[in-house]
Amino acid sequence: MNRRDFLKLSALAVSVTSGMPGFLARAAATAGGDKTLVVIQLTGGNDGLNTLIPYSNGAYYAARPNIAIGKKDVLNLTADLGMHPSLRALSKFWDAGQLGWLENIGYPNPNRSHFASMAIWHTADPTQAASDGWIGRIAETIGDPFCASNIGNATPLALQAKQFSLPSISSVDSYQLKLPAGLHDPFTTLLNAPRQGEAEYLQAATKQMLLNTAKVQKNLSKYRSGAVYPDSKFAASLQDIARLIAGGNGQRVLYTSLGSFDTHAGQRAEQDDLLRELAEGLAAFQADLDVQGLADKVVVMGFSEFGRRVAENASAGTDHGQGSVMFVLGKSVKGGIHGDSPDLENLADGDIRYKQDFRGVYAHALDTWLNLDSKEILGGKFDGPKWLS
Amino acid sequence: MPLTPRTTPLTATDAAHLLRRTSFGATEAQIRALVGQTPQAAAAALLVFPTTTLDTPFKPAEAVAPYAAIKLFQAAWLREMVLTPYPLRERLALMWSNHFVIGTDKVKNLSALDNYLSVLRGHALSNFTDLALAAVKTPAVMRYLDNDQNKKGKPNENLGRELLELYTAGIGNYSESDVKEGARALTGWTFEGKRGPKDFADPQTFTFNAKQHDGGSKTYLGKTGNFGGDDIVRLAAGHPSTAERVAFKLWRSFVSDAPDAAGQAKLTETYRQSGGDLRQTLQALLSSQEFYASRSSIIRSPTEFVVGALRSAGRTDIDKKTYLNLSGTLARLGQDLLHPPTVKGWDGGREWINDSTLLLRMQVAAAMTLGNQKGKAQTKLADPVPEPSALALLGSEKMPSALAKLGSAQRTYLMLVSPEYQLI
Repeated sequence: MNRRDFLKLSALAVSVTSGMPGFLARAAATAGGDKTLVVIQLTGGNDGLNTLIPYSNGAYYAARPNIAIGKKDVLNLTADLGMHPSLRALSKFWDAGQLGWLENIGYPNPNRSHFASMAIWHTADPTQAASDGWIGRIAETIGDPFCASNIGNATPLALQAKQFSLPSISSVDSYQLKLPAGLHDPFTTLLNAPRQGEAEYLQAATKQMLLNTAKVQKNLSKYRSGAVYPDSKFAASLQDIARLIAGGNGQRVLYTSLGSFDTHAGQRAEQDDLLRELAEGLAAFQADLDVQGLADKVVVMGFSEFGRRVAENASAGTDHGQGSVMFVLGKSVKGGIHGDSPDLENLADGDIRYKQDFRGVYAHALDTWLNLDSKEILGGKFDGPKWLS
Repeated sequence: MPLTPRTTPLTATDAAHLLRRTSFGATEAQIRALVGQTPQAAAAALLVFPTTTLDTPFKPAEAVAPYAAIKLFQAAWLREMVLTPYPLRERLALMWSNHFVIGTDKVKNLSALDNYLSVLRGHALSNFTDLALAAVKTPAVMRYLDNDQNKKGKPNENLGRELLELYTAGIGNYSESDVKEGARALTGWTFEGKRGPKDFADPQTFTFNAKQHDGGSKTYLGKTGNFGGDDIVRLAAGHPSTAERVAFKLWRSFVSDAPDAAGQAKLTETYRQSGGDLRQTLQALLSSQEFYASRSSIIRSPTEFVVGALRSAGRTDIDKKTYLNLSGTLARLGQDLLHPPTVKGWDGGREWINDSTLLLRMQVAAAMTLGNQKGKAQTKLADPVPEPSALALLGSEKMPSALAKLGSAQRTYLMLVSPEYQLI
């Protein structure tokens, strides 16, 4: 887009602001804070036991004769736990005390449906009554629909809010509107006609998009890549996240997904590749943040909707389980293992019993990193591992 | 109480509404041809269709790799949607492909995809139990939900769980034990045929392998017996809450994105009174007061957006390359045909809409109407869409006044990016 086009577009964005609800007008001023939380969703139920491996535990090998990670392949972290070999790119962060693993994370009355369980993590409501997401509530608390964005094609439930929808950006480069010549005025008139119902929703979404894209494009030039990212969609999303942060767009939470980890059959090949994609993407992202001088301002938090059953199934895969591991990464993270290793002798219906509520993990990020009141956003006070230093 | 029949004849805007929802859209002439008909006659005519499809210039079997074959297969389906005289058949197949979900990331076999789509077309108006039995037994579902790995004494629960959670009763209406017992009953259901990456053009067919079937007693949804796969699909499909879930799917597909407990209860009752007969249920739904009272309340899916523009313009002259481009565009808009992001399928509604998809919809609309765009427009039509009327595109007789002074292509472009076109 040339400068002339951009000026026209800015004018268009300004001209539609007049019809915006009040919460948008006060948005940028109140967003505040200069720290960003990056949330990584491992979609499909990542097998925690083959991610952070209890390699000293005979019960682990007994339950998984075909898919266990052999002791010699495990990247040892402690005398009992080690990482999947595909996570090698993260070893240096462990050594530097910047990688934390949170053990036995889950929620009461575990649900083995991908969608019910994912909705619980998204809404932070195990009763499944909430219709908005925990990050959507962050945006409403701050009062800025642009303070949290998803990098991907569809907005996850975590980013749904009651008043507005938060942006999903499939790629930063294509995040711009080029309106053909001569159509600015008729488009603005058409867009500003009064509407009701779903038409009003689409109208507001379009106006918001015009504001968001103009803002991002204005700030993009501030970024120069500081790392070589691997060639994967996930890594490209992480680089877009780095660009958005470096551009100073004021986003407090950025969200992206990797998957599918739904490894019912032939788990090793599938999960091995996905974990490698995860680790190599994150390593490039951290290196980039370092070059940008932003490594102190960003922490990464990764989760999956559930772990998988302890015992492998007959298809060299695993069926849906309960508790699992989370990871946290960044210069401000307290590295190490937070929590006890899973007890493989005392299972719930063949699954690991959760010991730490994921809402405690969220709460620590909200209170300590984002400087928000976790009680207000999560609807209660939750305790958990203190994973920030 | 079942749905209430509508008795007054169709006006032009009623007819536009019916064809927007059942046929992706239609030309002004096709809309006007329905004016004055009874809602019952108009619905009945739409609900009669053969299973044969048009001759296609696409030859997926000649592709060099499964990835390319799938792209050709998707483009062929898109072309059928644009050109078929029976758009409701394709609309229903699309709906059922978003219920009995499979994904081309795992199902990389042309005969499996072809058979799956044929089953959805052929049973679109069957009894729901017959549709479920036929759909679940396709090699595509066997592969996608790993039932070819589900063997006596060595269960794989994937199909057993999703049958209950997503295909029939819905979450909260079954127990973990039902999942496990159902998986036992489904042991032995598998498919024959080569399955390597190079064998994408080889035939796959459903088969029952008695040696791998667990013939013991099972207790499933409160009933006990030596159940096999057919038995548990019938039990699950006949579960009382399956009626509510099918009604919910039909409501979302044909009436509104917004929940309406009273309306859905009426539709459920209509479905129950028909004994689960989809033709009778749809005949009642598409000629009901509830259907005609609900306007502009469904956000068009990417497929409805693209196919709607082309059908409303009466386009029949699109080349193969363009269909391939448009099919790739659907994926970028969030609807990669036969490859939803998860086994739940697309939720649709407002989830179709975000900044990136709105931008891309505008870009696609520009490419379809204004022709060769500078920059990154990836959907080039050789000739711009001829100007469809406001009735065809917006469902209204009146052109928005903001468009009065523009040329035909520009007018069409702005109508396609208006909130009114995005809704059916």
